This record gives sequence, C-alpha cells and structure tokens, in this order.
Amino acid sequence: MRRFEATQLTLRLAGDRPIVGNLGPTSDELWHAGHRDRNFYTYGNMGLCSSIALGMALATDEQVISLDGDGSLLMNLGTLASIGREQPKNLIVVVWDNEAWGQTGHQTSHTGTGTSLEQVAVSCGIASSSTVTDLEELEGALSSAIATDGPHLIVAKIEEAGYLPVAPVEPEFTLYRFRNTFVDPQQPAPPH
Amino acid sequence: MTVNESAPPSENWAHIIVQALKDWDTSLIAYVPDISIHRVTSIIDEDPFFRLVSATREEEAIGIAVGAYAAGRNAAVFMQSSGFGNSINALASLCLPARTPIPFFINLRGGPGEFNISQVPMGRATVPILDLFGVVNFTLTDDYRMDRVVDGAMKLCHANRQPVAICLTQLLHGGKLA
Repeated sequence: MRRFEATQLTLRLAGDRPIVGNLGPTSDELWHAGHRDRNFYTYGNMGLCSSIALGMALATDEQVISLDGDGSLLMNLGTLASIGREQPKNLIVVVWDNEAWGQTGHQTSHTGTGTSLEQVAVSCGIASSSTVTDLEELEGALSSAIATDGPHLIVAKIEEAGYLPVAPVEPEFTLYRFRNTFVDPQQPAPPH
Repeated sequence: MTVNESAPPSENWAHIIVQALKDWDTSLIAYVPDISIHRVTSIIDEDPFFRLVSATREEEAIGIAVGAYAAGRNAAVFMQSSGFGNSINALASLCLPARTPIPFFINLRGGPGEFNISQVPMGRATVPILDLFGVVNFTLTDDYRMDRVVDGAMKLCHANRQPVAICLTQLLHGGKLA
C-alpha cells in the first residue's frame, strides 16, 4: 500500500477529526491529500507526533488521529507506555511502517529486523492494536477504531513512492489555525 | 552550616505555583517526577482542577503539553534540569517555531547545596542554553514576591506566545537531601 493512498483514505474516513502529521513527508502528503485547519503538520520534533496527539486527546472529547512513522515512534517508544497508562478513549495512532528511515537514505529500521510495534503497544496496555498490509484492511481497522472506544493503534505497512513537494506550511500558523477550531479566536489565551 | 542542615523551607512556593497555574487556567500538567518538586506536583495530583500526566521522558512531556494547548487547554511542564537536557530539541524544533506559550517549571540542579557531580554540568548549563534560545527565564532562590514573579511570567508567556522557564532552586524548596 502506498502511503499517499493510505493518507487519502484516512482523510476520507476522518471527517472533521483532528489529525497530527509526523514530520516531513507524512505531513507533506497530509497537506496534498487535503489541506484543512484540523491538520497539525510537523517538520521537527522527531518522535513527538503521538505525544502531541495524546495531549490533544486529553484536552478534547473529540477523537484525535496521529499519523506517526516507525522510525519516529522507535525514537520515543515511551509514549506508547504513556498512552497505555492514560487510556484515552479518543486516540487513534496510525503508524506508517516502511521498515526504514526513508528520509536519511532508506536504512533498515528496527521494525525491519523483528520489532513489532503492535506487540509493544499491546504490552503497554493498548489492547486494541493491529497490523494491516493493504488499503482494504486499513479501511476496516480505521473504521472500527473510529466507531469504538480506544486507545487504538494501527500499524500500517506501507511503501513510499517518491516524495511530493514540501507543503507550504508555517508552524506558527499551523498552530494558530488548528487551535482556533477549538477556541474562540476572539478570546485570547490570557484569561486576565 | 550547609543548606541541607538549615530549617526546611516553607511550602509557600508550592502553593504560589499552584495558584498561578489556576489563575491562568492552566490545567494540564505534564511532568517527569522529581523529588525536589514532588510537593507541588503532589498538590496538583490531588486537586481535581488539574490533570497530571506522567511522561516517560521530558521531551515527551513537552509534546503532550503542546498537544493540549493546540486543542484549547492551557498546559505546563515540570522537570529537573537534567530532563531539560533531554528535551532541548522539543523546545527548539516545536515550541519556538510554533510559538507555544508553555511554562516550564525546572528544578535547577548544580547550585549551592548540590551533592551530585553528575548533576552539575547540565544544571549549570540550563540557564545559558535558555538564554541562547531567547527563552525568558527566572531563577527563584526564595519566595519573596514570588507570587508576582510567577504570575508575571505566566502573563509574559501568553503575551509572547513562547515558553518561559521558571527555575526552582534548592535554596527555594530545600532540595534533595543526601
């Protein structure tokens, strides 16, 4: 399954739900698949995509979707333990797993040498964890996750097929735009 | 007489921080436990106003706090200076470019009374690193007018839409005994 097609499918199923994009190509493809105010694009902070999504899930009752990556999640496996500890019902973590660090020369990542992020997640208390290998399975797993209480983790085995142009996004504006879908922009943060 | 042998400081500092967090409607607190600031995080843990979230690492705590803020809930992080060392890239590549008003409460090691050589380099480097990034920071050694400093730091944090660091020292809270 190509990651861009998987991203398009995710966006179609997500409706208005907030989505956090992992750094680089995942965020680029999220933008190309459908730019919207509720896309939180990242271009740094490798490893923190699902931590950011966890914070969102603890701040809103709405379902939050994280589009993480295998290399990034391996950098911050502790966040799976934190998700398992907090048990946010409204968090769905999707891991685009190409078993490689795609941006740095396609070196094999630890998921390519035996690490199962699904099993790590289960061990951390994320009971609803699964691995999918094609678009049909992804659609089934994501539809089921959206319809039920989480936390959910879906490892989606993907291939990259070249890179789309870097999305023209600006971190400060991403946050401003995203946050204003949750708060009234006429009411600035300081309460006094 | 060493610092550790002096009378234990009052807990006033902890209550001042809790009050400032409430005054600024900052209810999600992400942290990595630290004995020296356990007093304040335990008050937070017992107060239903707050949601205290344990992270496994300080950069994760920053990610959680940024996510909460992005979804409309003000958030703060608590860590010690060694953990600040663990989280510099989260500050540099997330908080600063996205302009996130997240207060960092940092237990600053390596000052008067420090007993652990391994805590000195990162503790001493914390404020210079904050300064390098242009992160406004205040170091507190006693609770005189501390309420005004912390409240003012929170106001500045939101006005500037950038993190501020409030560094808490052993002189303030009594520190870790050894």
